[in-house]
Amino acid sequence: MKEWYDAIHEAQNVEKLEEIRILVFGKKGVLAAEFVKMKNASNEEKAEIAKDLNNHKTTLMNEFTARKIVLQTLELQEAMKAESIDVSLFSSSSQSGALHPVMETMDKIVEYFNSMNFAVKTGKMVEDDFNNFEALNLPKYHPARDMQDTFYFKDEMLLRTHTSPVQIRTMMNSKPPIRMIAPGAVFRRDYDITHTPMFHQVEGLLVDEEGKVSFANLKYILEDFLKYMFGEVEVRFRPSFFPFTEPSAEVDISCVFCKGEGCRVCSKTGWLEVLGCGIVDPNVFEAVKYKNVSGYAFGLGVERFAMLIHQIGDLRSLFEGDIKLLEQFR
Amino acid sequence: MIVTRSWLNEWIDLRGISTDEIAKTFNSIGLEVDRILKYRVPAKIVFGKVLECEKHPEADKLNICQVDIGTSTRQIVCGASNVRVGLNVIVATIGAVMPNGMVIKPVKLRGVESEGMICSASEVGLADAQSGILELDDSVGSFTLGQEVSENEILNDDLIELELTANRGDCLSVRGVARDLSAAFDRPIKEYNYTDNDEKRGIGRILSLSHEKDFDVSLCYKALELKGLTLPLVVKLRLAQLEESRDSKIESIMLYVTHASGVVLRAYNHSFFCDAADKTMAKIVLKEDDNGYACVKGQKKASTIGIIQSSESTVINDEGTILLEASYIPPDIISKKMAKNKIESGPIFYKSSRGTEPELSGGLSYCIDFIESHSESSTFGGNIKLSNSYRDKIVIVKKHEIDDIIGAVIDKVVVSKILHNLGFDISKSSADNFIISVPQFRHDILNKQDIIEEIVRMVGIDNIPSKPFVLTEANRLEDDYFSYKKRTIFRRRCAQSGFFETVHFVFDEKKTLNAYGFETTKSELELLNPIVKTLDTLRPTLLTGLLKAASSNVKNGYSSVKLFEIGSVFSPTREETLKMAMIFSGDAEAETLSNSGKPKKIDFAHFTQKISDIVGNVELKQYETAHSLSHTYQSAQILISGEVIGELFRVHPEVEKDYDLNNAFMCELEFDKIPYHLKTARQSSKYQASFRDLSIIMPKDMSYETVKNVISENATDELIRFYPVDKYSDEFLGENMSLSLRFVLQSIEKTLEEDDIATSMDAILNALNSKLGVGLR
Repeated sequence: MKEWYDAIHEAQNVEKLEEIRILVFGKKGVLAAEFVKMKNASNEEKAEIAKDLNNHKTTLMNEFTARKIVLQTLELQEAMKAESIDVSLFSSSSQSGALHPVMETMDKIVEYFNSMNFAVKTGKMVEDDFNNFEALNLPKYHPARDMQDTFYFKDEMLLRTHTSPVQIRTMMNSKPPIRMIAPGAVFRRDYDITHTPMFHQVEGLLVDEEGKVSFANLKYILEDFLKYMFGEVEVRFRPSFFPFTEPSAEVDISCVFCKGEGCRVCSKTGWLEVLGCGIVDPNVFEAVKYKNVSGYAFGLGVERFAMLIHQIGDLRSLFEGDIKLLEQFR
Repeated sequence: MIVTRSWLNEWIDLRGISTDEIAKTFNSIGLEVDRILKYRVPAKIVFGKVLECEKHPEADKLNICQVDIGTSTRQIVCGASNVRVGLNVIVATIGAVMPNGMVIKPVKLRGVESEGMICSASEVGLADAQSGILELDDSVGSFTLGQEVSENEILNDDLIELELTANRGDCLSVRGVARDLSAAFDRPIKEYNYTDNDEKRGIGRILSLSHEKDFDVSLCYKALELKGLTLPLVVKLRLAQLEESRDSKIESIMLYVTHASGVVLRAYNHSFFCDAADKTMAKIVLKEDDNGYACVKGQKKASTIGIIQSSESTVINDEGTILLEASYIPPDIISKKMAKNKIESGPIFYKSSRGTEPELSGGLSYCIDFIESHSESSTFGGNIKLSNSYRDKIVIVKKHEIDDIIGAVIDKVVVSKILHNLGFDISKSSADNFIISVPQFRHDILNKQDIIEEIVRMVGIDNIPSKPFVLTEANRLEDDYFSYKKRTIFRRRCAQSGFFETVHFVFDEKKTLNAYGFETTKSELELLNPIVKTLDTLRPTLLTGLLKAASSNVKNGYSSVKLFEIGSVFSPTREETLKMAMIFSGDAEAETLSNSGKPKKIDFAHFTQKISDIVGNVELKQYETAHSLSHTYQSAQILISGEVIGELFRVHPEVEKDYDLNNAFMCELEFDKIPYHLKTARQSSKYQASFRDLSIIMPKDMSYETVKNVISENATDELIRFYPVDKYSDEFLGENMSLSLRFVLQSIEKTLEEDDIATSMDAILNALNSKLGVGLR
């Protein structure tokens, strides 16, 4: 019997082992033959031999099963080894597209004001003089209305120079209280390193009862907004002048590049101008025939925000559909 | 607007306040600081006096000077042509480090020892006030020989350039800026008063003034006999700091005093206004000129008020009888006129259109004082003036209105003090009301909020607390918000599908657009002042912008370009609509191991798949585009649920060539028509679906659309969907082809039996056969 034990141990693959199994356990196998031989033995011997043979049968079967598991495992290992790959060949770069940084910045701005319960209002780009200028306390002879700055059409219509006409139209079409932002493209006749003839603005307006809306309210929301956009920055308000607000202010943040130390981007001042705002001028309310109200308004350039947030150096590159720039925003 | 610390000091005492603090204050009161420049003369540069001056024996252009520098006398060789005995000068002594880094050492110049250097303004880092060495006079204040120049306040001045907003004409003078600082620091402003001497000959003997009608203009004249005028160093220095210069001394003084006082001053040659018969009497007439501007005239026009002076009326040689004129015209009058009727304007227009100082006598007195102390001139007694009547503007503000708008309680005393220091009269105010009389120089103050703005800027916005607004709850999610959100969602889907978002100007080139068959804005509605020729109309399509962008990306080496844009386009009647467009050009995917570095080119099926991934299930119909960008045989209309939403096409080979593209596909959709609404779920079957494939033989030129329509019309309820899966043609089939279709059948009520399926399929086959003559393969 010993040779069969050796044979099971020495079998190198599952097929060989199977052959051995048939030779040992098969109907015409070794064990069967031994049981046949047993017939000639005496009864006493029979019991002895049977016991011995049954022991061998059980042990051989155990040996066989164990060896089979070993061989199957080895074979699976071999098979998987054959399928091995060099994973480093498959380092992958994203093939998805990306949103435009200016549009994504605009989304981020809109998201903030949405959460502060501001409605989103949009309007048309071709506007008339009343909604773009007159109603905003920009009389005919105001320097900001110079031909140099505004795109006009032959029929005296114009391309809106800010999104403020959306505010005028909203006020004309609905009653206070109003709490809205107007995101969109605006146009100025200017084309150089820091100006493009089209850019994007988000302007905001809040109107409520007289005596309810204060400069302190304006300060609160803009400080909070700028921290949401730029992280922990210092915010500074400087009194300024806009025809449609009074009092007016320009808002600076501490330079995001040099942390206020002074660098090229902030012209060594440590501050970056990012917003204009103020309390709505009574002449504007008069133009839309609102009485006994108070309100604040603010406006910002989306490209400027996008350039500061993403450290984009060239304004004009934003309008060229350049994948080299865009693929960085995947 | 440029001011300097020492110049401001002439109007307001700024002792104890640092320049940086002043700059910070300017910013916080709304006068934005653009630039700060600190002039600092280095150490070991001292005041000296030239005692002797001889020609250098070996060099024509050099002088050997003995210079008293207080402690001793030094021999210095000087090359400046204006060096002479008796001159007070600036001397760089041994060891001084000049601003350019040069160190002063004892040297021999052509054999003569020189111990130091007599300096020009620019050599010591000052504004270039004078060519040659700086000739000191008492206008820079007192000094002792040997004293360090760095101790002198006028020479070591701090310049601050302010960027003024258009409403603050009152700050276009040193005095005006000082007035704002006076309110900010609560320090008084100094005034200059001139006392006329009675013994003088009266101005009436040499000047008469008449006017044709009432003008909204103020004029004031003084006359003097100008003689021996010298221009003090401080004037030269400050004009150099302003980077300004004038040809004559008197014109330099006019510029200087106007900048200092804010009053517009002009000097006229007296004889310009005299006629041949009477050389002693100047006759000035205030008239309206052909353009409707108020003018000062003699025989000819001498000047246009607030705009320009004729060169013939100016003073030549700084001598003789001259007339000094101070004038004021309200800024709105002049800017309205200029906007309507543009004429040549002079440097003063910038100031006069924003508002100059209306109180004329102050500026005129300052000017006369100044000339008298720097010349041997004699002034005629009195003045001749013409005043427009200014009615005080009264603004009434309630105390609580100030607090409400600011959002904080501002003490009444603080409000009064601020307004008083800014020149407002509030003497008639009551307990709750401020009755404010607005000075004429503040033409920008018209209403309550203008007054409140003055208080805000003086209190400082930083000192106002931030308070959240308490709002009434309201649903503000309206139509415009939903369309913005729809846009955001489709932009994200495009990006997920591999397209990059682009933004282009809404301008495009009319010529190119018309050449490709696009209709552009009607000529009577066209842009009047395009910025460049290539952006001379409003775009009617997004396609051309995408083509250009794709082209430049291909040139940058991108073999697969996927771009999209959602933006406004304009009809010929300039109606604005929103479109969404995509371009896919070149390789269908990136080069990878899996495609052995040879990716397939984008094809019609792949592109259509991309588009429907973004917008949902689409149907395509054979279509001919209105423009010529499309491939004649590969262009389609896109439909969703039976409605046309746009077009999809392969780019025409000629256009591909124009833009250096290889295999490009585009589509343009009307954004508002892309479905974006509530979806409702269909009841779905719990029973198994069955599949049947049929291959039919149909003519090659028969459109699948025809086949599809017949199948749809004759399908039983059990047919869930069907779609083509294979197309085959060979010689044997000839003009026919085989099209394999897969049918999916399912019932809501039961598992379909063979018989049910056969019934459904037979109905379809029969219809195809009878209506189209199409049968099984």
